[in-house]
Amino acid sequence: MKSKKIFALTMACMMGIGAFAGCAKKKDSITNFKMFACMPGKEINDGNRIQEEIAKLTGVRVKETWLTGQTATEAVGSIVASGDLPDFIDGGDGSDALYEAGVLVAWDDYLAKPEYANLKEMYSDKEWEMFRKADGKIYWANVFQNTYGESKATGHNDEAFWIQVRVLEWAGYPKIETLDEYFDLLERYYNENKENADGTKIIPYTALCDDWRYFCIENAPEFLDGYPNDGSVIVNLTDYDKPTIVDYNTTPTAKRYFAKLNEVYNKGLMDPNFAIQTYDEYMAKLSTGAVLGMCDQWWDFAFTVNDQFKASGFDELGYNYIPLGLTIDKGMVNHWHTYGDTLNAASGCAVTTSCKDPDKAFTFLNRLLDQDMLNLRFWGQEGTDYLVDENGLFYRTQEMRDNWADATYQANNVCAYSYMPQYGGTSRDGKNAMTPAEQTSEFFATLATPLVKCFEAYGYTTYGDFLGSPVEEMGFWFPMYSYSNNMSTNTKGGVAWIKMGECKHEYLPKVVMASDFESAWADYMEAYAACKPEDFLAEMQTELDRRVEMGKSA
Amino acid sequence: MSLMNPSAPALKEKTTKAEIKRQSVLLIIAALYVVYGIIFYYLPLVGWLMAFQTYTLKGGIFGSEWVGLKWFKFLFTDDTFVRIIRNTLAMGVINLVATTVTAIGFAILLSEVKNIWGKKLVQTISYLPHFLSWIVVTSIVHEAFSTEGMINELLVNLHILKTPISFFSHTQYFWPIVAISNVWKETGWNAIIYLATITSIDPSLYEAAAMDGAGRWQKIKHITFPGLRSTIIILLIMNIGNVINAGFEVQYLLGNGLLQSVSQTIDIYVLKYGVGKMNYSLGTAAGVFKTFVSMTLIFLFNFIAKKTGDERLF
Repeated sequence: MKSKKIFALTMACMMGIGAFAGCAKKKDSITNFKMFACMPGKEINDGNRIQEEIAKLTGVRVKETWLTGQTATEAVGSIVASGDLPDFIDGGDGSDALYEAGVLVAWDDYLAKPEYANLKEMYSDKEWEMFRKADGKIYWANVFQNTYGESKATGHNDEAFWIQVRVLEWAGYPKIETLDEYFDLLERYYNENKENADGTKIIPYTALCDDWRYFCIENAPEFLDGYPNDGSVIVNLTDYDKPTIVDYNTTPTAKRYFAKLNEVYNKGLMDPNFAIQTYDEYMAKLSTGAVLGMCDQWWDFAFTVNDQFKASGFDELGYNYIPLGLTIDKGMVNHWHTYGDTLNAASGCAVTTSCKDPDKAFTFLNRLLDQDMLNLRFWGQEGTDYLVDENGLFYRTQEMRDNWADATYQANNVCAYSYMPQYGGTSRDGKNAMTPAEQTSEFFATLATPLVKCFEAYGYTTYGDFLGSPVEEMGFWFPMYSYSNNMSTNTKGGVAWIKMGECKHEYLPKVVMASDFESAWADYMEAYAACKPEDFLAEMQTELDRRVEMGKSA
Repeated sequence: MSLMNPSAPALKEKTTKAEIKRQSVLLIIAALYVVYGIIFYYLPLVGWLMAFQTYTLKGGIFGSEWVGLKWFKFLFTDDTFVRIIRNTLAMGVINLVATTVTAIGFAILLSEVKNIWGKKLVQTISYLPHFLSWIVVTSIVHEAFSTEGMINELLVNLHILKTPISFFSHTQYFWPIVAISNVWKETGWNAIIYLATITSIDPSLYEAAAMDGAGRWQKIKHITFPGLRSTIIILLIMNIGNVINAGFEVQYLLGNGLLQSVSQTIDIYVLKYGVGKMNYSLGTAAGVFKTFVSMTLIFLFNFIAKKTGDERLF
């Protein structure tokens, strides 16, 4: 018995020492911060090579966690309620709740000091004004769509009707401009191709309806009428000084769009399970290369699906997607792609009051904007992740590119701190792009052969070119969704907004699947009117007027 | 068998110092539970005040505007909420009946198995699903009931169906699917307590019945059922309060736009209209209402049990 006790005691001691040793090991001179971003994302592994390199240079290591299975407002609500705040947070749609709860540190004092010049440089004084909240202070900075120097954008990070590049190749790279032409092409291709090479049955078109991602079926009418992504409404500019709110759910275009989907569904061209698939099932479906086309946001599918295509060699079969800027009738101007930086002041990177050393946190954010840091975050380490040619242009070998497209490699070696201050556009060296994806040579080198052939056939150099939207800056109010996303059931408009959402969730799939479209549409319109959309539209108009006034005074 | 024997004379012992000292350890342990209960069950009830305010994060409970019964009025004039009460109660009752009946049936069947190894094996396998999280179970269910899933395949191959049914597109299948999921996950687990009760029935009763020429079915009917009766009633009373907790994850994960008129429960409403739209007062009001329904049901069922002379909780 005694020896057993001694043994147990020894074990306990050893575990204790082990635990302490574990602590001591972590207690290097590095400060560990936590960050929560209200977006789904991939967590990186501890000991990530670039994370450690940044830690060595800045003395700060940030553990990032991401949204899982909740909406941003739900997550923020529970974080604030629990009081367990990370040091950094991007509240997304829940940002206003963070401000209201008074848990954020104001940026003003830091922006005024020369030590934080990098942060100040992110936006012009006028732009910073837009971040100012009702109490006169600035609490966050949106880190996206911020171009340094000349724009080098190559992607289309937004919504579009997507089509697999093999379909375009099959048809001899035609110009597809309208919804009718799009479905006509899908139908013609499907009539001759029912299965993929591996035997997977082809699904010509699908539309995701899962939870908040039902925008995939829901908001196309605003784009088809040529308007940009205000999200929840159309802003009519007939009178430029007094723009008005228009409901895109009830326009003739909306009816024509859903009638088209109904026709396509009854022809058997649409995924029979479109209405009931979950997001995961949708992603799995896309990853098999079975789906020829769908309407979606690039960020909602491309990162996962493209990596899958690359891993399984499907990219060389032409399964990758090309965006099309469709309109309801021929010859209309579209705004699927918006040029210039869209400043969404409704959310951004913030430091919370739970952060023990806010000075250090802001110093770190400021430091991240130095060019060496930006290079580390987006290009990696010279020699290992990229090389420099005699002209000072960064490039990668094929092995480096493959590594950076590999999920496991990314988790161990890539650390972009993607929700912290950053730039797109041109590097401070004046030659390179800030990110490899925007470096023209790298962009083309990472494209699969069918994509390169397609780009060449049309004579385009960026994804944005495919949309054919005019190059113009958006109005001061853009985008209106930054307001509707934050509506509360405290107001009549907010109640109408949630009811409209529920109504559309239920009726849009019904309308598409109906055997008698006209009567289904009439039922839908009746149920929709019962949600009192006018309450919602009135509140949106008030907000639009406010923004227009603000734009005039600023 | 009664938990409380009303016929026992009320013995009033005088509490003396010596008595307190003698039971001091017990008192301390009991006190800890009381403190625990106060901290974790009663103090949070202060939060109910939010239901009578327009709560803001900045103002907190003591600085927010008082609005009386505004949010309760909102709830009961809202068609969605009324429909959601219906869904919650319907699914709660269906689940309760389905899981109870299958658990009892399963326990009886299992108790009749004579091969010890077979019995243990079946029992172990049957309660394993209990340990799976709903997110796993719902993905299995979603897959199984999909148009290419095994249920459809089975029904088509057996010529019961000509073409596969899209179970998740039609409202009439949703409640049964939720009930089936609950039954699949919980039957084995719920059967354990009934099985334990059956084991504790005096074997001599069965021997006596066998001597009188009773068959298996008669033994089950006249010995096993009456033996289970009190356990069933106590468990029913305890679970009846849970009827209103018809579930959150199952409906949230299995539901979709087409099904929302039958799939949404009070908990989902609290999340969507309350937490999700930053209207904590509305969410709290719905939660308070839920608690009252729960308590009413428990008292009601307990009262009925008392009247009919059966077992009861209090």
